[in-house]
Parts: sequence; structure tokens; C-alpha cells
Amino acid sequence: MHSSQAFLEGAGMNIRGEPGPEQESDPFVVFREAFGFIPNFLTAQSALPRVIAAHAKLEEAVCLRDGAISRVHKERILLCIAADRRDNYWVALNTEVLISLGVPEDHIDSLLNDYEHAGILAPDLALLGFCLKLSRDSSSVGLEDVEALRAQGFADEAIIEAVAVTALAVYRCTLSVALRPEPDVKRRNLCPKITRRADKAVPLSVVADTRHKAARRGPYVRAPYLSPITFEHFAIVRKSHGFIPNFFRAQTLRPDLLEAQLQALGSILLPEDALTRVQKESILLVVSALNLNSYCVAVHCIMLRGLGLSAEEADQIAVDYRLSNLPKADMALLDFVVKLGTHSSECSPEGAGKLASFGFTREQILECVVVTAINNFANTLQMGLGIEPDFEPPLVFEKTKVNPSDAATTLMPREGVEQLVETSQDGDAELVAQAQCGQLEAFEELVRRHTRLIYRALLAILGDAADAQDAMQDTLLSAFKHIGRFQGRSKFSTWLVSIARNAALERLRGRRNTESLDQRETEEDCGFRPRQIAAWQENPEQSHSRTEIRQLLEAGVLQLPAKYRVIVMLRDVEQLSTDEVARQLGLSVPAVKTRLLRGRLMLREWLSPHLAASRKGAGQ
Amino acid sequence: MITCDEFFAEFADYLENQVSLEVRQELELHLSQCRACHVLYDSTRKTIRIVSESNSFELPQNIFDPIIERVMAKLRTDPS
Repeated sequence: MHSSQAFLEGAGMNIRGEPGPEQESDPFVVFREAFGFIPNFLTAQSALPRVIAAHAKLEEAVCLRDGAISRVHKERILLCIAADRRDNYWVALNTEVLISLGVPEDHIDSLLNDYEHAGILAPDLALLGFCLKLSRDSSSVGLEDVEALRAQGFADEAIIEAVAVTALAVYRCTLSVALRPEPDVKRRNLCPKITRRADKAVPLSVVADTRHKAARRGPYVRAPYLSPITFEHFAIVRKSHGFIPNFFRAQTLRPDLLEAQLQALGSILLPEDALTRVQKESILLVVSALNLNSYCVAVHCIMLRGLGLSAEEADQIAVDYRLSNLPKADMALLDFVVKLGTHSSECSPEGAGKLASFGFTREQILECVVVTAINNFANTLQMGLGIEPDFEPPLVFEKTKVNPSDAATTLMPREGVEQLVETSQDGDAELVAQAQCGQLEAFEELVRRHTRLIYRALLAILGDAADAQDAMQDTLLSAFKHIGRFQGRSKFSTWLVSIARNAALERLRGRRNTESLDQRETEEDCGFRPRQIAAWQENPEQSHSRTEIRQLLEAGVLQLPAKYRVIVMLRDVEQLSTDEVARQLGLSVPAVKTRLLRGRLMLREWLSPHLAASRKGAGQ
Repeated sequence: MITCDEFFAEFADYLENQVSLEVRQELELHLSQCRACHVLYDSTRKTIRIVSESNSFELPQNIFDPIIERVMAKLRTDPS
């Protein structure tokens, strides 16, 4: 057994040490209250006090605070999961805590020997079985399991708490596997019956086998409406992300849990004093892919795009980061977290030493471990609560095809959705190949197929029809010049629009009053409120000629500032999906959504005086 | 019932049909009782419908023919 000192000495460092005065602040009070002393897994994290504070928030909200499940029940779950994962450190610590809570030692021994026959009441046994199943293979849990718990009398408040406790156990064990803290107390022997075996199904008839759960939709527990006006954390999330992810919406039954998670996630993921945000999001993406968690994969792909990576780069990191353009050091980082996240027993001090040889500091290595742990926490919560995706996942993942250790990677576009495009799926592929060989006829055919799309993209940015037609020529010449560089990793039409966009932006820059597409969202954007409150006619299209409506609309769209115009044109006129618009423009999905609403509302303001019910006597 | 500010905070996702059942129920209860928000919702929905169905910016394909022909002529004489 390596100690945390050994682990970090493997990296040529020593981060152990007693907490200094600064670290004696709140987070340590929480742990002292919970354990009666400051456990070694905390001192092993003392290089980054903010991650200790984050951990304290989670412990306090999930475990220490009174909730729908008693503290003893929670500690029992934590103990059994630790034992199931053969985590001697946490078994010993959990045992001490249970003893301090008045649980007899022989009962604890019974739990470790054979929890099914430890005299636990049937409902509690069902809950424990559910938590073990979730911690072993979160993708195997489904609505049926949650319904089985309800049938045992558990309210949704208790179920959400049990899922959170399981997630916390997974978080703790991920940390201890990597940091290898010295035992705080005498280690207890693990009994074979509770040790993890691949062939051992959770032996509870009340917990259904839910391998077929894909057909059942979540979320599994009630999620009452929680307003971003009254719950300020939602307002902050909306401001930073442009929307409130379902991950948080699904937990509104427990605002205190939500608050703790948001604070912990913010403390761990946002600062860049150790790893960069791109490095952290890459870790989250890779480990989520390995956990087959398509919800989190979609989220982190979007986040990486928001941080400047292309959609293709983000997808490639998820599918096989070794084939991505990441620097070698970052690949080594991901090699390490893959071992930590999925093959925990292979995680070794030598692995940390290798990271140090790439120049990573002790803080960075520690943060890498903590980010992996919080990822596993989030993955467990998402799967346990059946949280529905915010975005269409870019890929379908299979265990054998994501970051395979010894096989070639296969990209697997999700059925029915054109996201990541293999050459064979793009109807233009054959013509593109011919054009790349210099066949002008093939190029002309390609151009004719997409003229309208190019024109609308140009018009959307330039806001002037004559200018758009001029820019069309530049676009086509540039496309032919660079077609040899097109590698088929996106649809050809997407690539063509990116050429058009660059041509239009170049023209835009040449204008005196430059309009920018790249400005970030301002307070004004997010706080825009409509002024026109007159009701509209029931069917405005019937009281105006088509030509009238069209002219009105075109004038309205063209008067929009470029950053809104381009979104409205591509989303509402060209009918691309929000995700596709984001890809075309190199923007994040949340940014597109914010601009889309603002653009639609501005257009509505423009149309209102013409289409209000009082005009032409129609409506109402 | 939620307030108008709360309704507006969810408005973008509601228009895109990207809200959970619980949120939708709250929003629709509000819409049934608040005329101002109902007007906003109704007119915005109509705006989107008009934009999507009006065939605006539709130009005959042949308007692009001269441009394409100019480009192709240039490429034939100087493909580099």
C-alpha cells in the first residue's frame, strides 16, 4: 500500500504536511465535526485548500446535514460501498464513524461479512442494494430500480439523498485510490462476501435488472419548479452558461444539495491556478465517455467548444484523445485519469511520476485527481437520477469503442442525427473527392447545391444583398483554393459556410462602423425586455399579403445587429438546429440561445406595430 | 404562481420546447393568468412562425448564375 506521500513522491514531491493556520478555517471544522479529527485524506489535499473547501461543502450537505435518511443509514451506505470497492482506508474510517454514532461493532462486522444477513430491515436492505448497484455500474440503474424503492415506502426526498450519498462515496473512493492516504485508524479486514465481483449481481429481488432501461425516460424523482429569481444560484448558472442544465433542474427537491454542488463545482472547475479549464474539461469529457455517460459527454463537448475548441476536436477527445491534436503532456494527463477513472487498481505513484516528468506541478496532479473524483460524483448523480440530456449527445458510446487501449477507434454517429460526419455519410463526398482532384465540373455542381445556404450566411452577416452577392464570388474562389485541405471531418456544407463566414467577416471589418459577431453577451442582452405589449391579430398572414409580410420581415431582419441577425437567419430562416448554428458560427450553444431570444424579441418589436390586433380590425 | 420575471427567465427554453414537465406546468399556469406574458408569448411564437414560413430572402436560383459563371470562367483560365 502506498501512502499519499509515496504517491506524490512518485512525482518527486512531498505535499504532505499538517494543515497550517489558513487551512484551520471552516472546511476543517466540518471534517473535525464529522470524524472527530482531521483525516489523512484531507492533509493529502493540502496543496489546494480550495478543493478541501469544496469537499467540505459536499460532505456537509450530503452526509452531515439531517435529511430524509438518517446519518447512521448514510454512513452504512458509505461503509458498504467502500467495502465493495475494497477501499480499506474508507472502510476503517467509516467504521470509526459508525461506532461513534453508537452502532455496535458486531453489527458493523455483520455488515462487512454479509450485509444481506446483517439484520437490516427489508426497505433499508433495498436502499443499500440500490446504492451498491449504482456505485458498481451507474449505467445499469433505471426507473424500475427507483420505482422498486418507492414500493418499499421511500419518498423521492430519500431517493435523491441515497443517490447523492452514493455519489459522495464514489468521490471519496476515487480520491483515496489516487492519493493513498495513510490509515487514520486501525484497518479492518474486508470480507470476501462484500468484495466486488463482476459476476455478483445485486441480490435483491426488489431491485430490477434494468439493462433495458434505455426505453424509460427520466428524471426519476420529482423536480418541483425552482425559480432563478428566488434561487440565486440558478441565476448565476444561467448567466454563466446561458441556461440551467437539467443536471441541476432535476435536483430541485433539495436546494441545499444543489447549492453545495454548485459551490463545489465552482471551486474545483473554474479557477485556473493549477490546471487550465481546457485541461479540466478534457478530463471530465474523457472520464465521462469511459463511464458511458452521454449526458456528461454532451455537456463537456459543449463546454470545450465554448473554450475555443472546434466541435470535431471535442468529439475526437471523447472518442479517442490519443488521435486528437492535444499536446503530449495533456495526453499523458488523460492517460493518468483513464487509469484512475476506470482501472483504479492500475493507478500508481509511477503514473504521478510520469506526469511530473511532463512538467506538471503537485497542485496540478492533485487537481487532476480531484477533477476525476468530481466527475465520478456527477456521473453517478446523473445516472442515478435519470437526468435527461440538455443537448443531443454527439456520439453513441460503447465500452469497446471509446478510448480503446488496443484497438482502432470507430466513430459512431448517433442514429438519425447528423452530428459527427464520416465521409461516407455526406452526400457531397463523391463530388468533393473529384473536386479535390481538380475536376471543375464537380466543384461547380457542389457550388450550385449550396448557393442558397452560402448566400443566406453572407446576407446574415453583411445585412446587404448587393454586398452578399459580391462576397459570394470571394467565397467560391476561396473554397476552390482551399478544397484540398477539407478532410471530411464535418459536412462539406458546414465547411463551405465557414469559408463564407470568413469572407463576410473580412468585408465587415473593411467597413467604417464595424459590427462584430464575436462580442460576448452583455447585461443588456440578457436583460432585454420587450416594450410592445399590444396583442397581435389571430392570423396576421391572412390580413396581409404574402409580399407585404415578406418585405416587412426582410426589412426587420436586416435592421437587426449582425450578431443577432446571423442567428435568426440560420436558425429561423434557414431552419438549422441550435446546435448546428453553434457549429457553423463557432459559438457555444448557450450563446446562440441567448442571442436567438434577443433577436426574436427585437424582430417581434419591429413587427408589432404592423401586426397588432388594432390594425386592420383583425384579431381578438 | 410564478412571477413575470420568472416566466421571462424561462422563456427562451419554453419557446424551444426545452423545459421539463414541472417547469412547463408552472409556465402555462402563469400564461393562463397573465395577459402581458400571454401577449408576449403569442406574438413571439407568431414571429417565429412568420419568419420560418414566409420564404423570405428567397431568390431565384438564376440570380446566382452570373456569379457562378464568372467564378468558373476564372478558375478555367487560372485554376491556381
